[in-house]
Amino acid sequence: MRQFRSALARLAGVFTRYREDDDLRAELEAHLEMETAENIRRGLPPDEARRRARVASGGLTAAAEAVRAQRGLPWIESIAADVRYAVRSLRHSRAFTTVVVVTLALGIGANTAIFSVIRAVLLKPLPHRDGDRLVYLRHSVDGPGGNSILFSVPEVSDLRDGVRSFAGLAEYSPWTITAQEKSAAVRMNVGLVTGNFFDVMGLAPVLGRLTRPSDDGPGVPSVMVLTHDFWIRHFGGDPGIVGKTLRLDAGTVTVIGVLQPAPMFPDRMDALCNMVVSPHHLSAQMVHVRSHRMTEIVARLAPNGSVEGARTEVASVYARMQRDYKEAYDPGSHYRVSVVRFKEAIGEQARLTLWMLMAAAAFVLIISTANVVNLTLMRGVRREPELIVRAALGAGVARLRRLLLVENLVLTIAGGILGIAAAIGGIRLLATFAQRYSPRANEIRLDVTTLLFALGVSVAVAFLLSFVAALPREGRFGSWMAAGARRISGTVRRQRLQRALVVAQIAVSVVLLAGAGLLTRTMVELSDVHTGLRTEEVLTMPVQLVSFADGNFQRIMASDAGVKNDYDRMMREVRSLRGVVGVGLGSTPPLRGSGTGLEVKAEDKTFAVGAATPRADVRTADPEYFRAAGIPLLKGRAFETTDRLGTARVVVINQVLAEKLFHGEDPIGRRVAWTGDIVRLTPFSPDWRTVVGVVGDTKDAGLDAEAPPVMFMPFAQEIALGGVLVIRADSNAAGLASAATRIAHQIAPTVPIENVLTVAQIKDESVAPRRLNAELISLFGSLAVIIAAVGIAGVLAFSVSARTNEIGIRMSLGADRGRVQRMILGEGGTLLVLGLALGVGGAYVGSGVMRGLLFGVAPHDPTTFVGVAATMALIGIVACWIPALRAARIDPATAMRST
Amino acid sequence: MGEKLDVKQGTLALMILRTLDVLGPLHGYGIARRIEETSRNRLTLNYGTLYPALLKLEQEGFIAAEWRQSENNRRAKFYALTAAGRKQLARETREWHQTADLIAAFLAPRRGGETP
Repeated sequence: MRQFRSALARLAGVFTRYREDDDLRAELEAHLEMETAENIRRGLPPDEARRRARVASGGLTAAAEAVRAQRGLPWIESIAADVRYAVRSLRHSRAFTTVVVVTLALGIGANTAIFSVIRAVLLKPLPHRDGDRLVYLRHSVDGPGGNSILFSVPEVSDLRDGVRSFAGLAEYSPWTITAQEKSAAVRMNVGLVTGNFFDVMGLAPVLGRLTRPSDDGPGVPSVMVLTHDFWIRHFGGDPGIVGKTLRLDAGTVTVIGVLQPAPMFPDRMDALCNMVVSPHHLSAQMVHVRSHRMTEIVARLAPNGSVEGARTEVASVYARMQRDYKEAYDPGSHYRVSVVRFKEAIGEQARLTLWMLMAAAAFVLIISTANVVNLTLMRGVRREPELIVRAALGAGVARLRRLLLVENLVLTIAGGILGIAAAIGGIRLLATFAQRYSPRANEIRLDVTTLLFALGVSVAVAFLLSFVAALPREGRFGSWMAAGARRISGTVRRQRLQRALVVAQIAVSVVLLAGAGLLTRTMVELSDVHTGLRTEEVLTMPVQLVSFADGNFQRIMASDAGVKNDYDRMMREVRSLRGVVGVGLGSTPPLRGSGTGLEVKAEDKTFAVGAATPRADVRTADPEYFRAAGIPLLKGRAFETTDRLGTARVVVINQVLAEKLFHGEDPIGRRVAWTGDIVRLTPFSPDWRTVVGVVGDTKDAGLDAEAPPVMFMPFAQEIALGGVLVIRADSNAAGLASAATRIAHQIAPTVPIENVLTVAQIKDESVAPRRLNAELISLFGSLAVIIAAVGIAGVLAFSVSARTNEIGIRMSLGADRGRVQRMILGEGGTLLVLGLALGVGGAYVGSGVMRGLLFGVAPHDPTTFVGVAATMALIGIVACWIPALRAARIDPATAMRST
Repeated sequence: MGEKLDVKQGTLALMILRTLDVLGPLHGYGIARRIEETSRNRLTLNYGTLYPALLKLEQEGFIAAEWRQSENNRRAKFYALTAAGRKQLARETREWHQTADLIAAFLAPRRGGETP
């Protein structure tokens, strides 16, 4: 209590010092006067009386100082004084302060922003209870689209029964439903889940309840748990949402709760529903057919289970499944299951890119710190006289160090604050960017940890800056002062450090530039990739007229004629719009895949045992589709209106598939068919079909991937499961979007019309993440080069000004301007060459890790490396030239007199 | 004048409190005079020792200060003991006696009659 009270009083004293100083002075004066009066009373002459009193007092100023020390908290006051002093002295060297603060702000801002993304997307624990115990199971086969083929219900139960390392299996089947609301139809991506899903995932509701085992099976009410994101986005966070019903295409569903915020994987989901929402998911086909794979699995490890143990067990259970059910696992396709931590699976796509960005940001920070160190060293030289005077007046090494540290802290924390401000702007941009890579992007924010990170970086830089500076050491004041400041400034150690820093800056810049160069080359290569289409002035409009909501194929078949009629009407009306050149209809927009791949066989062709059966993307197209989409016809004919229900089954295949099936023989007139265990689950007949045409390949799996094999069937000969209007315009296809959407709405008011995109937009979207990568790294690279150029010019300029005297002597002894210029250029050139060599070496070693981010360019691409080195050399030479010119202009007479 | 002593750490506060207890409210000069006289001038107090100690006691709440007219019509800051200060004086006096006894016992001549 007593300590607390006096601490409070002292703390208050820090702030009230001026008022109390007057009081103290009056008190001490009074004391002095009383003592003087006493001395006079004793018979001393007044002057002597006063002198004695003063001697006895021990000095008024010293006393006042002692009282002040007791009054406040001396260390706070002296630090406050240091800060005031630092701010004042920094304000005097405005240029220095600005350059340092801005440089640091760039470095710290870039790092803070990228770090906050990495933390949210990769590092932070999952919001799930014991999220590190969750693992994701991935089922893969060879070939396009085979990365994740999901699991069938029989496979899920085998795994559930056979793997002891799992405490539970959460299964969810991605599905799309359409909710009919008053104003519009809303398409929702949902996960169909079993009752134990939330329990296994370790998630809790923020409102209402979650599904439970009693919601499983047929004959129960349809229920829905909204994801937090969708609840906020679509329902504005309505607290009364629980208990509301949504009208679906078939039946209704009741909202029973809202889930806590949690990342959904692999795709974003708007809600999670029980299985009864989709009758198909309760059908015999879904439940009993092993090759009907529609389910994702996340498992929770048992308390004694490990990921390694689970891997071993899953492998043995899976091997048994493959032995027992040979027909469901084509040996040529290499069916396999991998087990990865859920958190890693979520971060998988983002990891490489983000760490590369973090490295780039760290490089920028290294370069800016090196620059600031250099600037500080130079400023330190100019300050040496001041420091020497301070040391001579009694400041110890520790005291001077503290002074420098406080000054540097003021600098770096100012830089840090500015950097955080920059990061706040950058984070929003990065979060949008990260959306493409990670479902955790909405967790990105500046929180205490990231702020501490920024602060930590600032403080670390301040310490570094304070300890590179040389200080006058005790016992050496004499020699320092005798020598005079100018001589000391030329210490070999300091110059070496400065040069090493410049070399490092150049080297790191080269590494960054090389990365930027490779990614930019990747973008150039990608933009040069031919899509396979003749034109990009094409608008695509998906219109899903058929609903699978009731899972009743009979009903879908019965309504097929009506559906096709609606499509016809829609196309007729769109065709009459001004600017439309042609309209086609198909299952899939160009440059996209249909998402359904089936095995294909050709008549009279057998494949080597063990080789994968060819697979092709299943699509439909009407007679106009190829011309409207700009897909070139290479051989035979396109579909014709005579290819309709009841006439001979025909197909058009693309070139990749033709090559796969017929190895260079003419495919026209040959017969092909869908094959494999799964065909009987589809509405597509396994009968033979005649190839009537071959079309060119299009980059449907992305510009950076091989064109997938495709087989088109006539739209009229199959049931219309879905349709995309492909609208060719004479110019400005995007301008047709609203008119076309209006037509679709009129004809099908209950169908949500989304993703109306031009082919150019589809193409652009597929390269957007890479472009942003290239732009960010290029931005970092340019920053680095600018900072490094400033660094090299600054160090040389300083060297010139330190050598003014020497240069003056050289010139008066006969060295001409050219010679002086060459001398300085040579000095800079050596640093430049060293930096370039180190940088190119470093880039050569480092660029290998980027392999996964590159396209069409090798990690050690010589053109890029030469270009980068040349760019850096050019900028470096310019940076050297400026101080060299200045050196050459030195007037020898002035230079020598000025010493 | 005999040997001059420095004020031992911690004892000055006790002396100040005791002085104020005996003489009532007093200014800094008066306190210094009184302590020097009581020590028969073996102690000297300069301002740098006295005033911080007074401030510390004030911060701890044992004394209170007030500007007043002195006996010869001069304005001076007078210090007076507070209730807490009185208690503190009693406590410190007791502790001091105990310590003094203890030290005295240690320094007492050995039983053999030799002096250390």
